[in-house]
Amino acid sequence: MIQTLLIANRGEIAIRVARTARALGVRTIAVHVDGEERAPHVRATDAAVRVPSYLDVDAVVAAALEAGADAVHPGYGFLSERAPFAAAVATAGLTFVGPSASVMERMGHKDAAREIAQAAGVPVVPRAEASDGAVPRAFPVLVKAAAGGGGKGMRIVRTAAELPEAVLAARREAERAFGDGTLLVERYVERGRHVEVQVLADAHGTVVHLGDRDCSAQRRHQKVLEEAPAPDLDPGVRALMLDAAVALAREVGYVNAGTVEFLLDVESGEPYFLEMNTRLQVEHPVTEGVVRVAGRALDLVEQQLRIAAGEPLGFAQDDVAVVGHAIEARVYAEDAYGGFLPQAGTATHVVWPSASDGGVRVDHALESGQVVSTAFDPMLGKVIAVGADRDEARRGLLDALDRTAILGLTTNVGFLRALAASDAFAAGPLDTAWLDRHALPEPDDADARAIVGLALRGELASVAQAGPWADDGFRSSGGSAALVEHGRTLTPPSGHWHRHDLDDGLVRLAGDVPPAVGFVRRPGSAGPGSAGGASEVVVRGQRFVLGPRDTAWTGVSAGDGTLAAPMPGTVLDVRVAPGDAVAAGDVLGVVEAMKMELALAAPFDGTVTSVDAVVGSQVALGAVLFVVEAGE
Amino acid sequence: MATSPDLRALTAELHERLARVRQGGGEASRQRHVARGKLLPRDRVEHLLDPGSPFLELAPLAAYGMYGEDAWAVPSAGLIAGIGRVQGRLVLVAANDATVKGGTYYPTTVKKHLRAQTVAAENRLPCVYLVDSGGAFLPMQDEVFPDREHFGRIFFNQANLSARGIPQIASVMGSCTAGGAYVPAMSDETVIVRGQGTIFLGGPPLVKAATGEVVTAEELGGGDVHARTSGVADHLAEDDDHALAIVRGIVDTLPPDPAPAWEVRAPEEPALDPATLLDVVPADTRTPYDVREVIRRIVDGSHLQEFKQLYGETLVCGFARIWGHPVGVVANNGILFSESSLKGAHFVELCNQRGIPLLFLQNISGFMVGREYENGGIARDGAKLVTAVACSVVPKLTVVIGGSFGAGNYGMCGRAYDPRFLWMWPNARISVMGGEQAATVLATVAGRDADPDVEAFKAPIRAQYETQGSPYYATARLWDDGLIDPVDTRRVLGMALEVVARTPVPEPSYGVFRM
Repeated sequence: MIQTLLIANRGEIAIRVARTARALGVRTIAVHVDGEERAPHVRATDAAVRVPSYLDVDAVVAAALEAGADAVHPGYGFLSERAPFAAAVATAGLTFVGPSASVMERMGHKDAAREIAQAAGVPVVPRAEASDGAVPRAFPVLVKAAAGGGGKGMRIVRTAAELPEAVLAARREAERAFGDGTLLVERYVERGRHVEVQVLADAHGTVVHLGDRDCSAQRRHQKVLEEAPAPDLDPGVRALMLDAAVALAREVGYVNAGTVEFLLDVESGEPYFLEMNTRLQVEHPVTEGVVRVAGRALDLVEQQLRIAAGEPLGFAQDDVAVVGHAIEARVYAEDAYGGFLPQAGTATHVVWPSASDGGVRVDHALESGQVVSTAFDPMLGKVIAVGADRDEARRGLLDALDRTAILGLTTNVGFLRALAASDAFAAGPLDTAWLDRHALPEPDDADARAIVGLALRGELASVAQAGPWADDGFRSSGGSAALVEHGRTLTPPSGHWHRHDLDDGLVRLAGDVPPAVGFVRRPGSAGPGSAGGASEVVVRGQRFVLGPRDTAWTGVSAGDGTLAAPMPGTVLDVRVAPGDAVAAGDVLGVVEAMKMELALAAPFDGTVTSVDAVVGSQVALGAVLFVVEAGE
Repeated sequence: MATSPDLRALTAELHERLARVRQGGGEASRQRHVARGKLLPRDRVEHLLDPGSPFLELAPLAAYGMYGEDAWAVPSAGLIAGIGRVQGRLVLVAANDATVKGGTYYPTTVKKHLRAQTVAAENRLPCVYLVDSGGAFLPMQDEVFPDREHFGRIFFNQANLSARGIPQIASVMGSCTAGGAYVPAMSDETVIVRGQGTIFLGGPPLVKAATGEVVTAEELGGGDVHARTSGVADHLAEDDDHALAIVRGIVDTLPPDPAPAWEVRAPEEPALDPATLLDVVPADTRTPYDVREVIRRIVDGSHLQEFKQLYGETLVCGFARIWGHPVGVVANNGILFSESSLKGAHFVELCNQRGIPLLFLQNISGFMVGREYENGGIARDGAKLVTAVACSVVPKLTVVIGGSFGAGNYGMCGRAYDPRFLWMWPNARISVMGGEQAATVLATVAGRDADPDVEAFKAPIRAQYETQGSPYYATARLWDDGLIDPVDTRRVLGMALEVVARTPVPEPSYGVFRM
């Protein structure tokens, strides 16, 4: 067995690998870059070595040698699918936990992988070289450059009539871009599901599959919800994919854990081979959640290490059973309601659902106070729920996400929660473009306001003995006071609520009516009604910051759209013409006066309706130079 | 007189009436108001105050039954006024209700606005005016415009309050026309809401009539004009909430509340639950009861250090605390005699000597009449009490808990004696004398008392006194600062004591006591 394992990764997957390794008595070595000396993955291992970059093959191999490791686990991402890395590890005399460099190399090339798959009898997307006059049997098709990439020379064609035109255009583009006008025409799947099969192969010729997963819930090709087994799958199609995956692994002489990905055409129900991932997948926990070997759960990392050590798989396909259902939600530092922009900052408070609650697993590398930068993958962790069936797992996931709170920066937890709760996801698997076609409704702050109201009411009650002017909202003229802060009405929910003080001012409120759980951090100790303080709330996973609205403190700047010379001076620059559309803040022109260059900026989005400035001309104080009319 | 409903029923009626005026103007005008993106005036007050802040409202039932057929035509006189906490400081808020006749000033509106300014002046409370008013109610200009205590007095007060260092802050959240334009213009610091607030001496129709110039309200005196060009406003807000946030920011720059003028101890709940007041006080002011039942349900620990308990027993005097504040309680326990008057005068002097605020609990049908008493000089003794009360320098609070008749009203610190606050219970009655007595006196004066149809002569007099003696008639006319639920008396007094404690107590001095 392996004695010392270097984990060539960071974040949750490094911690995940270390957990199993340590349970097996394997010593663990982390690598880290500057600034990550105290990162969670470093603390999860027995020792750590600094590397200049997680992508530096030589440095990582040298680190393994220096630390006395006899094996290297690459995790996912970074170097995990780089054949030169696997080769360098082997050359250094160390065991690489994964397939050989040559297998990685072959499966890493899409066309080569497609050929191997075809040889193994795996269904692939029908494809032919475009030749003049040849018309495909079915539409739509994708016309693309054989040498291509990046969408250049690519056309989706939905009818035979459009084909000649599209081929001509694509060929011109391909020639210009790649110097090669060879075009391929392949079946285009309008709506597809992403279904994949987990395989395990040992060095002794045993190959098994561990069932399938559905990873169709994707936003911009990034998986967000994953589940096992793939729901709503025709038994014949499922069997076809499982068998094909095993055949492919055999064909290529695969050793260790791998995943064979398929695109399932929703219309025809036909699966097509996409690619093989020659590593452990992010979503492997859903497989671990449902697979039973001789009635016992399987640890995929343990299997990887044993296989790498040369041990034979201790079981056969017939020993593998799939029980129940598991769903994983990927927690990203991103603004899911703001174009999925990556977020950075300090996660001031982090509460993950307790793993001791039945059926919930959390793999993460995010703790309170941790700084999240955009330098690395924005994934912060994964929440996995297991249930007897899909709906039980889904409801377990909703509960788990309700009990998740990340404050200090924006994450997608609320979005994941809303997606998992959506009718569409509840009804069955989505297709991979569903989230591109459907926007989830913007989060409503009503529950957040209610939670803040609860906390605020608690604060006010605690001063009720302060005297006749105590903050209990008393009205000498009858009626009751609304609870209002920063212009927001904060009406607490009904029902019974319990308050649990967590660390550093974070309060968890649990009640017997929806939303049942809420987290809130109230502004400092200045007391109720103190100026400027914002409450930070997490409810149903969604973070809200309820503070004074920006305008209250920045003031208004936009006038009526008339921009006059702020001083007598000379026009230096005119950047717009009448009719130009401008955005708030766009500089329309520059005036020089008193040795200063004064930029005149659009006060709001709109259209320039008048320009009375000429470069070089003298202007008097107050001379109207530009007029902007507000857009709709 | 029909059987009186009990105090509980009268209190329930009070709450119904209060709930009604809290709605403000009619449904249609409220919807119009909100549709413009404006907050309703009571919501403006709520959004201005600190979360959870209490609000001591002044005269919410003002103008009831005074204007036109509909008794509810001008709820709260179209002006919400009261004391609340903003950024930890007590401030006086006056908010026009534009859903009530466009927020125009009826005679009672003017009176209420001036009353609010008096409260601010006497207690040094910063003033926040939430302006949304079309100015004077033109059909009644003769009762609104020309006199000493009419519209112009509002601005006179602003100038003099500011001169005394009492901040004047205005937020223009709607129209602010003609004379009304001086509210923001006379303020120390002014906010205006873009697209909603307008300030001009003459509105577009008047401008067109006067000079022929055609101009929109926004061009004439909108937020941008006043914040950028005229300088009439100091802050430009995007909407009501933004304006209120700016006002809160302004209040945050004011000095903190002053320390109380006297020692305030840790408060103690009364041993007897104030809620039981409704059970122990008879609603009919003619039914006698021991006023100590009321005092015990108002003061800390139900403890009263009584003064001259055995002398002049129809007036209960004693020292107590309310929410930790010292008070000298003067409470009627029957008709006023010479002895009770002398005792009262003595006690009022004691409180002035010691700087202890006075609390008058009025339930008085008057001074004793008759030859024996007149000859004994009850007028002379009554005058001593009136002199002592009139010349008091300590803050006075009055609650009319029953009748308030005749000269008893004077000796017990009626409205004319400048109590800092005066409230009435819903069972209160107020008039120069009882309806029956007035009818008899007038019948005698008219020589009709022997007429067989004297009843026909007396009935309308009794009816007039019945109507005008009603606490709703009184509060409509600002004879008080509002009707309160008896159960809230302790709380309201405690709030008021914190307010009146803001000003130092000067040295006492008196006029000539007739000996």
